Formats: sequence, structure tokens, C-alpha cells
Amino acid sequence: MIAATGLAARAGSFRLVDISFEVPQGGYGIVIGPAGAGKTTLLEAIGGIVPITGGRVVLGGRDVTAVAPDARNVGLVYQHGYLFPHLPVEANVAYGATDVAIGRDLIRRFGASDLWHRDVRSLSGGERQIVALARALARRPSVLLLDEPFSALDPRRRASVRRELRAVHRETGFTVLQVTHDFAEAGLLGDVAILLDGGRLLQAGSPEDVFRHPASPYVAEFLGAENVYAGELRAVDAGQVDPGDTQAAEHRAFEFRMVPGGFSMIAVGDAVPGPAHAVIRAEEVVVSLAGMESSARNAYRGRIVEIAASGALVRVTIDVGGTPLVAALTTRSVRDLGLAAGMTVYASFKAMAVHLC
Amino acid sequence: MGYRVASVVTALAASALLLFLTVPVGQLVAAGGASGLAQLGHDAELRDALVLTAVTATGATLLGVLGGTPLAYLLARRRFRGRGVLAAVLDLPIVIPHPVAGIALLLALGRRSPAGSALMALGLRLTGSVTGIVCAMLFVAAPLYLSAAREAFARVDPRYEAVARTLGDPAWRAFRRVTLPLARRGLVAAAVVMWARAISEFGAIVILTYNPKVASVLSYDRFTSYGLGAALPVAAVLVLFAVIPLIALRTLRYDRSAAGL
Repeated sequence: MIAATGLAARAGSFRLVDISFEVPQGGYGIVIGPAGAGKTTLLEAIGGIVPITGGRVVLGGRDVTAVAPDARNVGLVYQHGYLFPHLPVEANVAYGATDVAIGRDLIRRFGASDLWHRDVRSLSGGERQIVALARALARRPSVLLLDEPFSALDPRRRASVRRELRAVHRETGFTVLQVTHDFAEAGLLGDVAILLDGGRLLQAGSPEDVFRHPASPYVAEFLGAENVYAGELRAVDAGQVDPGDTQAAEHRAFEFRMVPGGFSMIAVGDAVPGPAHAVIRAEEVVVSLAGMESSARNAYRGRIVEIAASGALVRVTIDVGGTPLVAALTTRSVRDLGLAAGMTVYASFKAMAVHLC
Repeated sequence: MGYRVASVVTALAASALLLFLTVPVGQLVAAGGASGLAQLGHDAELRDALVLTAVTATGATLLGVLGGTPLAYLLARRRFRGRGVLAAVLDLPIVIPHPVAGIALLLALGRRSPAGSALMALGLRLTGSVTGIVCAMLFVAAPLYLSAAREAFARVDPRYEAVARTLGDPAWRAFRRVTLPLARRGLVAAAVVMWARAISEFGAIVILTYNPKVASVLSYDRFTSYGLGAALPVAAVLVLFAVIPLIALRTLRYDRSAAGL
């Protein structure tokens, strides 16, 4: 378990302020945030590398705020590996290992047995990351701190190493805190997502919660939610919400009107009337060629202004009365519907898909 | 046209400086090197002076390494109030004239000073002694070691140490197993520079200890007592003696770049 309460730390002129979160025993925490957010400093504070100036850190139920790094039983893997250049790979892996055989087995599991006798200066960036990971795990830490540990691996190897790390994690039961820029990785690996910016905690919770219910428009935009609108909320009769949507019925219903202008929408949630932001993830927007009866309370007619491929998905931007609404569709859906810029289409999303913040 | 003129002027200036630095030393070795080496066979005073120079310079260097390494590490790694002032004070012996350094040492450690009295009580005399020579060498050469050793430590990314700490090493063991090996070449080079500076020292030594004579004092003594002809072989041998650490230093630097460190 990793628990930070009101954690403050200083690294040079950079300060980490009032960070509180908890990753349960055996859990997988993900730290995300822009460059300079303090992600690495957070790992170093938990590892005891940078001095803690306030708050406390509890690892596995033990308060380690004033404990030296060597007595915390943490493994730390930096993005660049920091393999000891004066030692060969095997000596690096064996450096703090409880048993060298464990390190050798880990190297094998990560598909890098051929590196065992190599000089570390001859390794590629990705190979260094694998060896650094094996070195940290060979010590059997109770907490593993990972700073973008897969960033230098090619996509195929990244997937296999990530899978194997997940397997080792399940077998051994240590707690992980990993820094990443890859939001897909955050969704894949994380039990807890911790979002930082400027040395402060913006939001912490389950990745699904953080991604679907960002605490602020900034968080929403940072996490890649394309549809973020400013406006006013007005409470409305819950009857306007789909009666079949039982989850929605438990919430209050609102009409959200954009300010200064734009389309309005029905939303449900735990919010108060007044100025607010509405966030709709592009994946929640359905596009059709004709208006259709559905449970979605929000449906609009608009014109496609842009179609842009983004990995396996295609971002379709629809102009709805002068306001852009982005939908994420699969390449096949775009092809089957014959979508093209300039076409008139219908876009819809459920009231529950609108996150109010 | 302007570029060509600038190139010619630059080349001339560089060549002039190169000749200025190498010709006197080359002439000295050419004129006195062979006779100096031959003189080593029958000139006991010259042999003694060279041995004394080597021994005292080595002693001063060992003391400098012993005390300077932790100090250099502290200055490279820790941020504390007064760090800049401390670094400047430690560099001071480099910039003050060396006879002045000798006078300062005499004042601080001479027989009339409290520290000097304490040394006398321990049987260590600053003037006219090997102790005085070592002190003078240490005073003028240790700042060079400190400065280069500080750079050597600063070049080692502290995150290597951080990783070692999380792998179970207490601070001292992480220093010994990781930082020290990674800074080793830089530290050895720093020690070689200090040794080279120590064997060439004259100004501070001559204030504290004229006798027994180190090589630099002997060459000065021969020059003032017997003239250039007598001083030449001694001076040439001292130059050849000084070449040893320079070659060692260049070899270390070559190895370092060849190893990609």
C-alpha cells in the first residue's frame, strides 16, 4: 500500500505541495500530468530520494516519512534506467538482489536473456529499461516506483514487457506507482490514477472515474476530452431524462446552455445550478446519417467540417450551429457510413454521457 | 578576404604562443637534459633533492586526497548556505602569490602561533623541515585537487546513487560502490594535477624550508651560487621529472574518451 497525506517535498527550486492519495496493497497506481508536473519528484519523495518537507508517506502500513531510502524496501526505475556503467548487466541485476537467480529469471521472462553478459554501455535505451526493471524487481520490493519504464521500448516489446510485469505483479503482490504519458497505459494498468500539475494534485481516483468525470475543464482537456464547453446549468424536470435510464433517474437533471452561445443539452449529475462546464468524451458521441428514435436525449443536426485519423480511431468534427462537436468513430464506421467533409449528419449522446464539472 | 586575413592572424597568434610555451622548455632540455641525467649518477645532492621532491609531493597529494575527497563530494552534491563562499575561500591559495602563501603558513603554523606550538609539541616543526615542505605543497596544490575532484563528482548523475540507495545501499556504501568508481578517473586525474603542481612548487617552500632542498629550490640555489651552467642540468632533470605526471594525465584522459565515459 502507498498512502501519501498532505505530502510536500522540494527538489531544487521545484516544490510538491499537499499531495494526498492512496494506492491499495497490491494495487497499481498511475501518475499522469504534463512535463514539469512533479511526477518524478513524487516518486523520488516516496522513495526517500528527495527530502519530504511536510505531510507523511506510509508504505505497507509503515510510516516511512523519516526512513532512509535503503530501509523503505522500494524499487525505483527511472526512464533512462541508470544502469551502473562500470558493471556488466549481470552485476547490475545482482546489485541489490535477494537472489541472483530471481534476477536471471526476470530477465528471461522479459525476453532479454541474451543481454545477461553484455556491457551496459552497448545496450539500447529499451534494453536498458528492461535490465533496470529486472534489477529493481530482483530485490523483491514491496513497492515498485516506475518512471515511464516502457518509453524506449518498441510497441511490440512494450506490450510483452507490460504483460509480463503485470503477471509478476499479480504473482508477487507488490504495490506499483507508475508515471506515464500514455493514457491508454493508464487505463490498461491502473487501479488508481493520480493527476498532477505544477506540483499539485488535480485529481485522484479510479482511471475510469478520472477520465469520465474530470474534476475540472483543465483536467478534461489534458486527458484529451475534445468536447469541453462552458455554460450555465438550470435544473429541469427529471422527466426529460430517458425514463429507462435508471441510473440517471437517481441524479438530478439539468439543462446546460452554452455561454455565450451554442447548442444546449440535457445532463444529469451531482451538480448545482449556475456556471459550469460540460464534458462529453468523443467516444460517447454517435453519428448517423438520418435522425432516429433512440434513448439518447441529446441529438443534433450538423455538418462535418473535418475528418482526421488518430490511430485506430477517426475524429469527426461536426459543426452544430457554429459550435464544434467531436465524435470518435472506427475507420470502418466512417467507411460504411460514407462520411466526408461537408456532409450533413446527426450526432447524439445520452444525458449520462455529459459530465458536469 | 576578411576571413582569410582573420585566419592568417589567428594562425600566427596560435603559432607564436605555441613556440613561446615550448621553445624555452625544449631548449632547456636540449641543453641540459643529457648532462643532467648523467649528473644523476654522481651528484648525490641532486638525487636527494629529486627523491625528497617525489616523497613530499606524494605525501602532500595523499593528504590532499584524504581530506579533499569528502570536501569535494560535499561541494558537488549538497546545497547549503555559504557553499559559494566556502568554494571561493578554498580556491584562494590558487590566486595568491606563492611566497605570500608561505608567509601565511608561517604566520599560522610557525613556532609563535598556537597551532605551531601544538605541532612542536608533537615533534613537528614547520620551518626547515620535511613537514614544512609538505605543508607548503599541500597548501598551494590541494585547491587544484578540490576543484577537479568537485567537477568529477558533479559529472556523476546523483540518480545513480539514488538507485543504489533504493537497492539497499546506505549512503556510504552507495558512494563506495557507485559514485567513487564512476568518478575514479576524474579523481585520479585531479590527484595527478595536484602532484604535478606540488613537485613544481618553489615560492611557498622557499619561505618555510630552504634546507633540506627540493629540486626547485636546488636549481635556484645552483643558479644563484654557481650561475646558469650549474643550474641547467638540475633544471632540465626537473622538467623531465615533471613530464611523468603530464604523460600519465594525458593517458588517463585518452583512456577516458576512448572508453566513452
